[in-house]
Amino acid sequence: MKKINILLALCLSLCLSFSWAQTPKGSVLIKNGTVLTVTNGTYENTDVLIQDGVIKKIGKDLNAPSGVTTVDATGKYVMPGIIDAHSHVALDVVNEATAPIVAEVRMKDVVNPYEIGIYRALAGGVTISHAMHGSANVVGGQNATLKHRWGSSNPEDIIMQDAPRTIKFALGENPTRVHGRGNGIQPRSRMGVEAILRNGFNEALQYKKAWEDFNKAKSQKGSTAVAPEYNERLQTLVDILDGKIIIHCHSYRADEIYMLINVARDFGIDKLVFQHTNEGFKVAPEIAEYTMGASVFADWWAYKFEVYYSTAFNAAILHRNGAITSINSDSAELIRHLYHEAAKTQRYGNLSDDEALSMITINPARQLGIDDKVGSLEEGKHGDVAIFEGHPLSSYAIPQMTFVDGIKYFDINEDQDDQRQQVSPIETVEPILLTEHNHRCMQDTEHLFETASALFQMNQ
Amino acid sequence: MKKPLWKSGLLGLCAWGLFGSGALFAQSDPTGQKPITQTYAFTNATVYASPGSEGQKATIVVKDGVIISVGSGVTIPAVAKVIAGDSLYIYPGFIDAASQAGITKPEDPERPSDFVSSNPPDEIAGITPWRSATDQFDISSSQVDDLRKAGFTMAHVLPDGGMIAGKGAIMVLGTKGSTNLIKSNTALAASLNGSRGMYPGTTVGVMAKFRDVYKNTDLTQDRIATFTSNSGVTRPEINQTYSAMTEVVNGQIPVFFEVENDLEVRRAISLQKELGFKLVIYGLEQYDEVIDLLKSSGAGVILKLEIPDDKAIKNQKDDVDEAVQAQYYRVKESYDRTIAQAGKLAEAGVAFAFSTIDAKPSDAIKSLRAMIEAGLTESAAMAALTTNAASMIGMNRIAGTVEQGKLANLVITTGPIFSEDSQIKHVVADGSIFDYEIKTKKKNGNGEATVEVAGTWDYTSETPAGSSGGKLTIEKDGNDYSGTITYDDPSGNGTANSPISDVSVSGSQLSFSFDVSAGGMAISVSVSGEISGNTMDGSMNIAQFGSFPISATRNPNFISNN
Repeated sequence: MKKINILLALCLSLCLSFSWAQTPKGSVLIKNGTVLTVTNGTYENTDVLIQDGVIKKIGKDLNAPSGVTTVDATGKYVMPGIIDAHSHVALDVVNEATAPIVAEVRMKDVVNPYEIGIYRALAGGVTISHAMHGSANVVGGQNATLKHRWGSSNPEDIIMQDAPRTIKFALGENPTRVHGRGNGIQPRSRMGVEAILRNGFNEALQYKKAWEDFNKAKSQKGSTAVAPEYNERLQTLVDILDGKIIIHCHSYRADEIYMLINVARDFGIDKLVFQHTNEGFKVAPEIAEYTMGASVFADWWAYKFEVYYSTAFNAAILHRNGAITSINSDSAELIRHLYHEAAKTQRYGNLSDDEALSMITINPARQLGIDDKVGSLEEGKHGDVAIFEGHPLSSYAIPQMTFVDGIKYFDINEDQDDQRQQVSPIETVEPILLTEHNHRCMQDTEHLFETASALFQMNQ
Repeated sequence: MKKPLWKSGLLGLCAWGLFGSGALFAQSDPTGQKPITQTYAFTNATVYASPGSEGQKATIVVKDGVIISVGSGVTIPAVAKVIAGDSLYIYPGFIDAASQAGITKPEDPERPSDFVSSNPPDEIAGITPWRSATDQFDISSSQVDDLRKAGFTMAHVLPDGGMIAGKGAIMVLGTKGSTNLIKSNTALAASLNGSRGMYPGTTVGVMAKFRDVYKNTDLTQDRIATFTSNSGVTRPEINQTYSAMTEVVNGQIPVFFEVENDLEVRRAISLQKELGFKLVIYGLEQYDEVIDLLKSSGAGVILKLEIPDDKAIKNQKDDVDEAVQAQYYRVKESYDRTIAQAGKLAEAGVAFAFSTIDAKPSDAIKSLRAMIEAGLTESAAMAALTTNAASMIGMNRIAGTVEQGKLANLVITTGPIFSEDSQIKHVVADGSIFDYEIKTKKKNGNGEATVEVAGTWDYTSETPAGSSGGKLTIEKDGNDYSGTITYDDPSGNGTANSPISDVSVSGSQLSFSFDVSAGGMAISVSVSGEISGNTMDGSMNIAQFGSFPISATRNPNFISNN
């Protein structure tokens, strides 16, 4: 009896660990396509073999090992899965907007694998998105890098577990509006934002020292040392100072971008990516020298005062100055056609095909710290692939199939009218919103403006 | 969660002995409310002593709140009041494993003048582990009456509040005039709900703050230990949050985490795995995707005792195109799947209980019947109502079955409990009998005429907020009725009105429902009453608040008199 129990327990624990640790991995041979590797040129009539989720071979006339399905890509384009370095898809909460620094919150806690936006992104060839905290705080929460393994009910399955930690920062109007104008606390101005950052990092250094001192004292014999207060907010800032977390900072103006570069240099931080960065073209050499580059919109601006001084040449200028540059969506709609957004760098800046495609593949991968695994078609990298009818940078491009780890999650020929994973038992037809809310950066912050708007009305 | 969570039931017994029903009334009782005897005998009834057991003819004698004998040849003491049970069915009293019946949320404290929303005091931010449900519970609340009327005799009441609301308590649903307390400080009630407009405001903030509170409680304990046994140590900062969290961190009491769906289940379990507390999750509505996880996690599981509203399915139309039909089908499929979950969970071997928080106790049996029809066994349903709940709250020594020595908590029905026509006739709670009116089914078109309800009625209702009223207009439209009702606008001055729906008239019984919009939330109200001539008396049930008396008179219709 005991033996059987042990066997059962063993079996159970095996099954369990299997279901926890393993995400589905597939094998497929994509035949005879135009293969856009992005990093190693373009090959016509070439095959891509993915085995157990990894690109095994790229070459001509490959044979499918037994049991491996073949996809005919004759006349089609095969490119690396698109990576969106700025998204809020699949998050139940975007902003914990209530304090200027909320480094302790983790977006991984609120990933929602049922959100239809994941499938729609797949239908646009996007295999990885960077699910970010909003921009209401100077230091926002820790982001989650997602792999679009659509169909799982477990958030763990769509989180890219081997991606490095990243965190959201935000400069300028959003944090000053929420905290300064909305709540009457620091920061009320761009100077306040800088002060919050410097104070935060200095506090983090003190926190780190307090724990180091305690741990040192505790190891002494007969020690009566008592532990300092635990503070995950400061601990996360310590992790940033220790180079364990990549900063992704919402920014628009050149002066604030340059400010953060200086703060980062003062505190010895080099893992820093700017997001939006509309005035990045003014400080492109500095961004190139001191940071991991900028992730920008192709041509989106003028939605508030700090975003007026903008140009569609931004990406090309940053790129030509040597800054790692990516193009992101920050939108559940734009994420479906990032290939169009990348193509705009050819109209505004004359970038080559590979340069334009790198904006939505290898460059965002570098900014997320995952370029050793994804972002280009290379042997040994993950089998994340998108197949297009028409060149992906053409206005006529139509995504056909999207693979993550060699598993097909989107196929235009198998696309159903209703792809929802979950349907409410109490709503007949869920409302279809004709006006898409593009900016989710400030979601969940509305209540913070109640006081401000009440004051405004009073004085009207 | 097979093992009782609280091994020491001794305290509970002591409390019960002190406040037991015997001590309720003084010798001389000018109110005339004192019962003649505290001993009752239910003779020759069909007794279902425990879930899954066959019904057996037996006599039950209860005395001073305890079952003193169950069987066929038991001696009936001379002092006993005898209730002939020949046509009756007796079950163990139900236990609500997570309840807020009779609970009133305390007023929020005033904000200090130096209030900063990014760093609010714990009490304002919904972090109040020191609060106790005993301070918020009122046995004379109509919610308690409703719960008891549905067969519940014991409730694990949880305080109302924010992310860490406070400590629960076990109450027997006995008579007014007693605290009815069996055990306090049973569990910590927690949720993922943020505080509006301050930190932590959302689920991500709440999860981070929970980790923070938990870890700092742990560290504070270490500091106190070092401080107490040494000199030369800085005084540790002791605050009421960390003090009240100590029992949780030390594993003495579990955390009752409120969750609604599978994603929230995963969030609660991930916190539990990270921090290591004892976990019971309650209020589950959508959990089909996590049945295996619920089982493997070892957490206690308490389902919301409710089935989804079927309006969306009833309102489906016939003349729609294929695309809409496909959507209809998915809604129906989702509905069926939701109702079948409880059966699947029981089949997987999870010993779950039920919670009535945010559910209507009067619909409890109806909901259970739907779950049973969708695959839940009757014995699993009964176990959830009795033995599972008793084990989960550590009360299986004194409650959950009909056995000699257990508390005199019984449900007495006119038929097998889950059968369509069965009604609850008596509930015995804490040894006191509560009688309920049995409605004889009036057959339509069989001699009994259906009363006319159309007209304009003036109604008044009594709620804890005071007396209020308005106009009710009912019009007949073919065989159906429609109408409107006016009421005091909950958002301020003046009156508001809503259309009434589900109007049904059966014999002299009228029932209908309507929705009141209060602060962006729709509160559903259902009314049922007995019409006699131009007057109506009945009750008005406001979801989550309980039922209240309502009476109405019809205005004479002068035009039709012409």
